Amino acid sequence: MDGHVSLSRVAMRFGDFTAIQPTSLEIESGEFFSFLGPSGCGKTTLLNMISGFLTPSEGCVAIGGTDMTRVPVNRRPTAMIFQNLALFPLMSVYQNIEFGLEVRGIDRHKRRARADELLELVALSGSGDKPVAELSGGQKQRIAIARALAVEPRVLLLDEPLSALDLKLRQHMRTELKAIQRKTGITFIYITHDQGEALTMSDRVAVMSEGRIQQIADPMTLYRQPQTDFVANFVGENNRFRGRVIAVDGEMATLDAGLPIPLIGHFSTPLRPGDEATLYIRPEQWRVGSADDQRLSLGGVIQTERFEGAWLTLEITLDHGPTIRAHVPHAVAGVNVEAELAVGGACRLDYSPNQAVVLASDEACPSSEEVVDVAATA
Amino acid sequence: MWQQLRNRFGVPLTMAIVSLMGIWLIVMVLLPQWQMVDYSFHPSLLPAERGGVKDVWSLTNYATFFNNEIHLAIFFKTIWSSVLVTGLTLIVSYPLAYYLAKVATPGQAALCLLLLIIPFWINEILRTFAWYIIFAFRGPLNELLFALGLIDRPIRFLNGDTGVLVGMVYAYILFMVFPLYNAIESLDTNQIRAARDLGAGWGRTHRRIVIPHAKPGIATGCIMTFMLAAGSYAVPSLLGSPGSRWFTQIIYNWFFEGGDWNQGAAYAFLLLVLCIVFVTVVMRVFKVGLGDIAK
Repeated sequence: MDGHVSLSRVAMRFGDFTAIQPTSLEIESGEFFSFLGPSGCGKTTLLNMISGFLTPSEGCVAIGGTDMTRVPVNRRPTAMIFQNLALFPLMSVYQNIEFGLEVRGIDRHKRRARADELLELVALSGSGDKPVAELSGGQKQRIAIARALAVEPRVLLLDEPLSALDLKLRQHMRTELKAIQRKTGITFIYITHDQGEALTMSDRVAVMSEGRIQQIADPMTLYRQPQTDFVANFVGENNRFRGRVIAVDGEMATLDAGLPIPLIGHFSTPLRPGDEATLYIRPEQWRVGSADDQRLSLGGVIQTERFEGAWLTLEITLDHGPTIRAHVPHAVAGVNVEAELAVGGACRLDYSPNQAVVLASDEACPSSEEVVDVAATA
Repeated sequence: MWQQLRNRFGVPLTMAIVSLMGIWLIVMVLLPQWQMVDYSFHPSLLPAERGGVKDVWSLTNYATFFNNEIHLAIFFKTIWSSVLVTGLTLIVSYPLAYYLAKVATPGQAALCLLLLIIPFWINEILRTFAWYIIFAFRGPLNELLFALGLIDRPIRFLNGDTGVLVGMVYAYILFMVFPLYNAIESLDTNQIRAARDLGAGWGRTHRRIVIPHAKPGIATGCIMTFMLAAGSYAVPSLLGSPGSRWFTQIIYNWFFEGGDWNQGAAYAFLLLVLCIVFVTVVMRVFKVGLGDIAK
């Protein structure tokens, strides 16, 4: 059962509008792969090209090494879970799950046996005779998964299937989806605009914007080493410092961002002194300390403080600089958080240059093609 | 319901609406129907004899029908032909309705609907006459078939039921297309996509997904088309021949040529009963309620 998906230079145009720029991509068999991006970025179009609902304007789609570009949707070894699930409301749970098997001419007893097996997998044994309308949101979700798995697809395509569920259930279903994926070993291709979903479940994530893949990486790399401005801004929270590169040393770049001291950060995309660049520091990477802690290199004034449960969010206006956001734990060694980090008070802060990311600004930005090639060969 | 209406429109307007509806139902529907039923159970009498000794309830008018083999034959032929018209209209309308509801872009659908509706701005008699001309012995259809070499002598389309069937399918197609279109349009397109994705071909997708969903629409369309066909007068008069008479023509004859309104009323009542039976049967077969059809 080879669930390897290969897109070679696929593009999709609707009239003058280019929904997908030429894109190449390899998804390994048994991988949990996500497309993450805002609505309208082309991720659903890409999914529809893999499932066969759309034929690409250019390029090839291959599944398990076989060219599928012209194969109609009902003959592809894929199954889709729709955003609204699209269970058949006039049929019972059994009939829904068995539909794909019935189509394949499998006899009644085998169908029922397989349906029972799948109901067990999704922890809904015994509800086969219920009408679909009687199920709860989470149960419908599981039936949709069972129905798709019934046809033994090599690739399961999921189009934001959790977006209709409430938060608790959504988080629970993430774990469950991941468990099902491990158990079945099927390639999962997951579409979402929710980075939490993409980051928690996926082996690799492709971040998309305006019909281009911005970066493909495992969730950790994506978070720590974004390769484009879009990814740095879209995935997680980030503080941005725009400036000019004044020095480059190995993998570290020094940036003049108009602050009293130059900022240093790590870079992995081409960068030369004199380039316009942006340095990103995540809110949790700041070390915040009291105003008299001279080991910390930057100074600022705390504007607001918000209690978030596990941490505090501070908005700090840097001296001669912009306002940044920092996540601070309740207890910082050597600092009396309540007394010394009060709203209106001064503080000092710092970050470790290894964790900060420097990206060249727009013109020097690598095109999606290069990004894809880097990721595909990695 | 009274409460709801009163809250929305106030007492005077509600009274006006309800009484207008009442007057409409009683004066325009119930009373005439009742009078017709009453007529049908009385013998045809001279005005002077009405209310006299001869004016008694009787089933004579119905006996006339059941004793007349020709009328019985025409009655059953009308049922059969109307069923045929309904079936043909359904077959023609379904792909059209599906195309309009699920395939066409909004622009294409609007254009298509316009093209369908424009001919219906013309009077039914005139539209039927158009078919009369097309089907004529030396008419354009025969000319075309002849020119294409498909026939070597003209066909008499207007001799049997062909003309009547075609004319009726054309006359009532919209009454089938619209309910079907509404029903199919309300189907979530993802249902179709899901069926396809699970491996179903087009045939099975329609059989298992689209048609079951469209059932109320199919029932509505069939009921409307059947009732219009069974009650049609213009089409069979123009496109039929003496050999393909419709039951409505017999009713017409009783009223306006035989001058026997009582007999005509009995025949008309039988047609009404037939239609009610048909509606009931169709609702049973399609397992739909009145509420589904009214949607």
